[in-house]
Amino acid sequence: MEQRNNPGITRRGFLKTAAAATAGAVVLGAPRPGYVAESGPLKIGLIGCGGRGSGAARDALRAAEIAGVPVQLVALADVFKDKVDAAKKRFMESKGGGLRESIKLTDEMCFSGLDCHEKLLKSDVNYVILATPPGFRPMHFAAAVEAKKHIFTEKPVATDAVGTRKFMAAAKKSEELKLSVVAGTQRRHTLSFIETIKKIHDGKIGEILAARCYDCRGPVFHAKERDPKWSDLEWQIRAWYSYCWLSGDQIVEQAIHSIDAMNWALGAHPVRAFGSGGRAWKTKEQEYMGNIWDNISVDYEYEIGGRTVHMATLTRHWVNSDGIVAEVVVGTQRESDCRDNLGEPLKDEGESGSIQEHIDLINSITGKGRYYNEAMQIAETTFTAIFGREAAYTGRKLTWDGLLNSDLDLLPKELSFEAKIPAPPIPVPGTGPGAEPAKGGKKAGGKKREK
Amino acid sequence: MNNENGIRTTRREFLKTAAAATAAVAAVGVPRPGYVAEGGPLKIGLIGCGGRGTGAAQNALAASEAAGIPVQLVALADAFKDQVDRARERLQGQKARENVKLADETCFAGLDAYQKLLATDLDYVILATPPGFRPIHFEAAIAAKKNVFCEKPVGTDAVGIRKFMAAAKKSEEMKLSVVAGTQRRHDRNYRETIKKIQAGEIGDLLAARAYWCGGPVFKARERKPEWSDLEWQMRAWYSFCWLCGDNIVEQHVHNLDVINWALGGHPVSAFASGGRAWKTNEPYMGNIWDNFSVDYEYKVGNRTVHMLSMSRHWVNCAGANGEAVVGSKRESNCRDNLGAKAEGGGEAAMVQEHMDLMNSIIGKGPHMNEAMQVAESSFTAILGRETAYTGRRLGWDELLNSDLDLLPKELTFKAKIPAPPVPIPGSGPGAERPKPAGRKKAAKAKA
Repeated sequence: MEQRNNPGITRRGFLKTAAAATAGAVVLGAPRPGYVAESGPLKIGLIGCGGRGSGAARDALRAAEIAGVPVQLVALADVFKDKVDAAKKRFMESKGGGLRESIKLTDEMCFSGLDCHEKLLKSDVNYVILATPPGFRPMHFAAAVEAKKHIFTEKPVATDAVGTRKFMAAAKKSEELKLSVVAGTQRRHTLSFIETIKKIHDGKIGEILAARCYDCRGPVFHAKERDPKWSDLEWQIRAWYSYCWLSGDQIVEQAIHSIDAMNWALGAHPVRAFGSGGRAWKTKEQEYMGNIWDNISVDYEYEIGGRTVHMATLTRHWVNSDGIVAEVVVGTQRESDCRDNLGEPLKDEGESGSIQEHIDLINSITGKGRYYNEAMQIAETTFTAIFGREAAYTGRKLTWDGLLNSDLDLLPKELSFEAKIPAPPIPVPGTGPGAEPAKGGKKAGGKKREK
Repeated sequence: MNNENGIRTTRREFLKTAAAATAAVAAVGVPRPGYVAEGGPLKIGLIGCGGRGTGAAQNALAASEAAGIPVQLVALADAFKDQVDRARERLQGQKARENVKLADETCFAGLDAYQKLLATDLDYVILATPPGFRPIHFEAAIAAKKNVFCEKPVGTDAVGIRKFMAAAKKSEEMKLSVVAGTQRRHDRNYRETIKKIQAGEIGDLLAARAYWCGGPVFKARERKPEWSDLEWQMRAWYSFCWLCGDNIVEQHVHNLDVINWALGGHPVSAFASGGRAWKTNEPYMGNIWDNFSVDYEYKVGNRTVHMLSMSRHWVNCAGANGEAVVGSKRESNCRDNLGAKAEGGGEAAMVQEHMDLMNSIIGKGPHMNEAMQVAESSFTAILGRETAYTGRRLGWDELLNSDLDLLPKELTFKAKIPAPPVPIPGSGPGAERPKPAGRKKAAKAKA
C-alpha cells in the first residue's frame, strides 16, 4: 500500500508498459495537445453517472494522486437528473483526504438530459470519462474528439456496425489530433497480463495453435420494474443491460475483456465467426429481461502467419450455475492463461489494472509517459464481440468485413423521450433479413446423407 | 463388382481393420459364438422399423452382396404394427428383394415385439429403435446370445448407459460380435487418417473441434386423439429427450466418436451452454433444446486437451458437420489422409460396417466388438448435454455413476406419461449444489 504513493514504482510501471506497447511512442516529457492546464490541475468530466462511471472517476482521482499530478473532478453529466444528483452527493460525501479535496463539483457543472454530454464538452474539462450505456458511446466519443478532449472510454464502445464505424472514424481523427485515449479494458494495463503476453509474443509458448476464453456468470439487471411515468426510452435506458442496442448483450458488455486479451495475445482480430446460443432460462413474459439472450458461444477464426487459428468463446448469464472467466492460449510448447507469466514470479504486482489505466492516460496527457491512443484497438475488440453475437443471432457464418460494412444499426431512429420506441424483439436465428443465407452457401449438414 | 473381386477387396479390408482394431483379435477362420447359420445364409432380424432401421437392413443386404456372404432378412419387430407393415412392404418391394424372407409369423408388433423376435433363430439383430430403448434391447439381445448391429446412440441417460455397459462386458465375455452404427470407424479415409494421427504424424495433439449443426428433425407433428401419452412420445421420438437424447446425443455422437477415437479416450469433464433459440412450446417440439456448445476436457498423456463441440438444429442457418484435431505439426479433419492421396475404392461406410460384422460372425475377419466404444461415445454426448442442461461443470465418473434416469417409470400404453419439461439450467434437482457450510450458516442466521 505504501508503494502506491511511490512515484518511482509507478515510473517503472510506465516503462514496462511502454516496452510492451504496439502504438508508436512519442517523445516523453512534452505535454500533448488538449492539455490546456499545463500548470494547473487536470480537469475531469464524467459522462454517465452510473456505478461504473462513478467508479471510473474515483479510479482517475486515485491514479492522479499516485502519478503526482494535480487533478479535479469538475463536471458530471447523465441523461437522468436523479443519477447526476445521486452521484454528486456520493462524491461530495466521499471520505479519504486527497480524494475529497479534488472534488470540485458545482450545480452549474452538473448536466442532465439527452444533450448533457454536449454541455459538458463545452466546458474546459480536458479529461473526459465516457461511461454511459455502450449504445451511446460512438455518439459521445465523436463529440468528445470533436471537442478535442482526452478520453477515458469505458468498454465496449458500440453495439452495432454503424456505431463501430462511427467510433472508428472518430478514433482516426483522435490519432491525427494526437489526443490521448485509454479504454476500460484494464487487462492491457495489468502487469501480469502485460508481462505474460509479451512472452507469448516473443514465442515463449511456441507457435499459437488454439485459444479459448470464457465469461460465464450470473445475470445483470438494472431497473426491474417500470415506473408508469417513464417513456419507452427512459425505461430502456434505466433497464439498459437488458436491451441489445444499449448493452450489446453480455458477450459485448462483459466478455469483451476476455476477447480483448485474445485479440491482444493473437495479435489480430478474427476474420470469421460461427456462433450459437439463445435463452435457456430467461422468459419473454418478464419485461425487465428485455431482448438480450442468456448465452452465446462462438467459434472465431483468426488468420495468423498463414494458419487459421480457432478461438472458442463461451459466455453466459445463468443463475445457480457454474461460472468461469478466463483466457487461454495454446502454443506448441505450452499453454498459458495470459497472466501466469509462464510460471515465473512477477517482479512486482503493479497497480490494479483499473487504476493503472488512468495513470497511463494521465501520464500520456501530461507527456510524462508514452503516448496512448487505444481507440482503434478497443473499437476492434468491441466489434469482435459484436461479430460473435451477430453470428449467433443470425445463425450465419459471418466475415469481419462483411459485417463491419453492413448496415446493422440498432439505435432507435428517434432518440427522444417523446418517441414511441417499442421494445425490440428477442433475436431468433434463421429469421429476419440478416438471416438469409448467402447464395451458393452449402446446405446444412453437407451433401452426404447421414444417419 | 464381381464376387471374386469383392472378396479380395473385402479381405484386404479385414486386414486393415484388424490392424486398426483395438478389440482383442481372435483367430481368423473360426466361426464365432452366435453364428447359427453354419454355412447357410446369415439370418438377420430387425428391431425398430423406422427409416434408419429399414435403411440399416438395406445396408446389410448390400453388404452381403459386396462381401459375398449370403444373408436373409427373416424377422421384423416394432412397437407399432403400421411401422412393421410399412417396412415389410418397402423391403419386399425393393429391387434386391430375393434375400428378404419375411413371414407373418416373424413380423412382430407391440412393446414386447423385440422379445418375440429375439426368441427366433437369428445370426444377428439390428437394433434401430429410438435410442432410449437401446439399453433394454441390447441387454435382451446379449441374453439371447445374438450378434448385434447396434445403431447409435446406445442410451440417453446414465442408468441406461450403465445397463448397456454391463451387457457390453457380457457380450465380450461371450465373444459375441457387436458393430455400432458410428460408421466413420469403418470409413477408409477416417481409418487411414486416424492411424496416422495416432502414429504421431501431426505431432502432439493440442486441441480439437467437432460440429453437427444442421436443420431440425421432427417425426410425428400432430397427435392423434387415440394415441396414448407413450404412443405420442414414441411417434414424435426425436422431440423427447428420454427417447432421442437430444440432438447432441442422437447425431453429434458421430463427431464426438471420431474425437474420442483420435484422442484415444473419452473426456474427463465438460462445461457447456445452449438452449432454445427458436423453438416454441408447441407440443411436437417436445422438450429437447435446439443448440449446444460444449468445452470438453480430455487427458491425453499428461496434457489437458480441450475440444469445442457445437451442435444444433436451426432453420435457415449455416451448417457445419465435421471434426478437426490440431497437432503441433499440423491440423487434420480426421479424413484428409494428411494430404496424401487416398487409396480410393472401398465400400460406403454404412455398408462396410455390416460387412465387417458379417465377417466377424463367420470368422473370416477379425472379431469386432464395438459395444463399449459406442457406449463411451454415447455417454460423451450425454455428458455434454447434461452439463449444458444443468449449467454445472460435470465429471465423467460423477455423471456416469449418478441416478440420471429419464425413462418413464411405467412403460405401457395405459400409463399417464406427461411430456417432460424443457430443461432449464440452474433449476431442478440436478442443479442443486451443496453450498459452502459458512454461507449456509450465514443465510440461516439472517433468516
